[in-house]
Amino acid sequence: MKKIRLGVVFSYIILFIFAFITVFPFIYMILGGLMNFQETTSIPPTLIPHHFEWSNYAKVFARAPFGRYFFNTVLTATVTTVVSLFNSLLGAFAMVNLRFKGKGVIQMVMLSLLMVPGEAIIFTNYNTIAHLGLLNTYIGLVLPFLTSIFYMYYLQSYFGSISTTIYKAAMIDGASDWDYIWKILVPMSKSGLFTVGLLSFISGWNSFLWPLLVTNEDTMRLLNNGLSAFASDAGSETQLQLAAATLTVLPILILYFIFRKQIIRGVVRNEIKG
Amino acid sequence: MKTNQKKAWLYLAPTIIFVTLFSIYPILRAFGMSFQSGSLIDLTWTGFNNYKYIFNDPEFWLAIKNTLLYAVISVPVGLAISIMLAWIIFDKVKHKALFETTFFMPYVTSTIAIGIVFRYIFNGDYGMLNFLLRAVHLPAPDWIDDPAMSLTTIIIFGIWSSLAFNIVILMGALRNIDPNFYTIADMYGASGKDKFWRITMPQLVPTIAFLLTMNIIGAFKIYTSVYALFNGAAGVGNSGTTAVFYIYNKFQTVGTPGVAMAATVVLFLIILFATFLQRKMMKKIGEN
Repeated sequence: MKKIRLGVVFSYIILFIFAFITVFPFIYMILGGLMNFQETTSIPPTLIPHHFEWSNYAKVFARAPFGRYFFNTVLTATVTTVVSLFNSLLGAFAMVNLRFKGKGVIQMVMLSLLMVPGEAIIFTNYNTIAHLGLLNTYIGLVLPFLTSIFYMYYLQSYFGSISTTIYKAAMIDGASDWDYIWKILVPMSKSGLFTVGLLSFISGWNSFLWPLLVTNEDTMRLLNNGLSAFASDAGSETQLQLAAATLTVLPILILYFIFRKQIIRGVVRNEIKG
Repeated sequence: MKTNQKKAWLYLAPTIIFVTLFSIYPILRAFGMSFQSGSLIDLTWTGFNNYKYIFNDPEFWLAIKNTLLYAVISVPVGLAISIMLAWIIFDKVKHKALFETTFFMPYVTSTIAIGIVFRYIFNGDYGMLNFLLRAVHLPAPDWIDDPAMSLTTIIIFGIWSSLAFNIVILMGALRNIDPNFYTIADMYGASGKDKFWRITMPQLVPTIAFLLTMNIIGAFKIYTSVYALFNGAAGVGNSGTTAVFYIYNKFQTVGTPGVAMAATVVLFLIILFATFLQRKMMKKIGEN
């Protein structure tokens, strides 16, 4: 009996150590963003600021157009999410409910494209966008991401679980495919679509390499690019960098805490099937 | 059936158009460009010269070496820690959702932002980590500014980031194991150790195989975390350069897209090969 207890205690200690390591950078980021400069670089390190320097945030907004970065990020992440969800929805519907020649080929091509790392095509996509004269534009930022094979594949598995007899019954009742999609399919898979939307928005929010390539004007930057540029410019002002990092992370963290169940369930479902 | 045909293609049209333009075309174009030299607006055929160039470029080999070392160390270590933590949460903890939510946080948050935080935690002089190491009289290396430490720092950050996804997926798999297995094992008086190695691990093999594949692919593409840790550079004196860093540098900074694309093709083949090899191995293990 004693031995088992010891095992449990030991397990808990390991668990708490790792949980602490996971959470600590977030806590340090938030607290560090409220310190003054001396506190961020003091030896021994300061953990709790003596006085909360809320003015750090005013300084961050004054030094770099973070408001503009926010706007750009929300806009591109929203457009990407809505349009790619719409396109994947239509595609997934066709793959699940319609019968046509070449379906097998399409499925095979899509599945093998899932294996292609984004980093392998991002540079030639830059080339395309540059040729179209779309560098430093919102269209250039979103264009390659307006459809997602990944989400289409995910929705296919979701729609597949809705019985085809419902589709057939709707057809017999004289509904069009368009009606079926919006009046039956979408309402029935609301939670799945919502989860995909959330995941897509989060990955749009955190995108870095693509906007780094296709924008070089400060007004067109997204949050993460603005943040990394600010971190180089703000140089030694550690507390401002940490405040700016907090600004970038906090909105998503709040979204995550509200929808944590949907997000985690969505990721698990996504990956297990893939 | 006839009308169905047309309709189906209509619904698929947006996807097919975008995929062709921004997934299929760029792959073919990257392959083509790897045999061309010159700047983006003036490309000429050059045969295998770009490949010859990268294979003779010590910087390319350093990038490949770093990327491979990163993958070979961070993936197994990260996965082992994840399995241990997932098992503890699953087997011993009441508030499973609380821990799952906690461990998953790094997955949704920006690598750039957290990388900046790590840069200060890892700071050689005033960083929190070295403060703790000194407190217990352990060596406190200069994690960020010492070129010899670059890769180690990248690996630690990589392991920290990888736990989130692994743990959540493993928890999903653990929940799917038939609880009757454990009930029967308990009836026969199996120890916790027995249950873990005889029931849990064999049931987890497909999930572990999947995670290995995903993690290895992810490891080969490492870029953003290095960028964030070292403030846009690949460590002091390029000591922490990676494959994608090399490609980016050759493409954007040096302006030799052909060389960059040759490196892309090589990286792509390595990823394909690693995935293939790893699947084969896991199949073997699954059969035994």
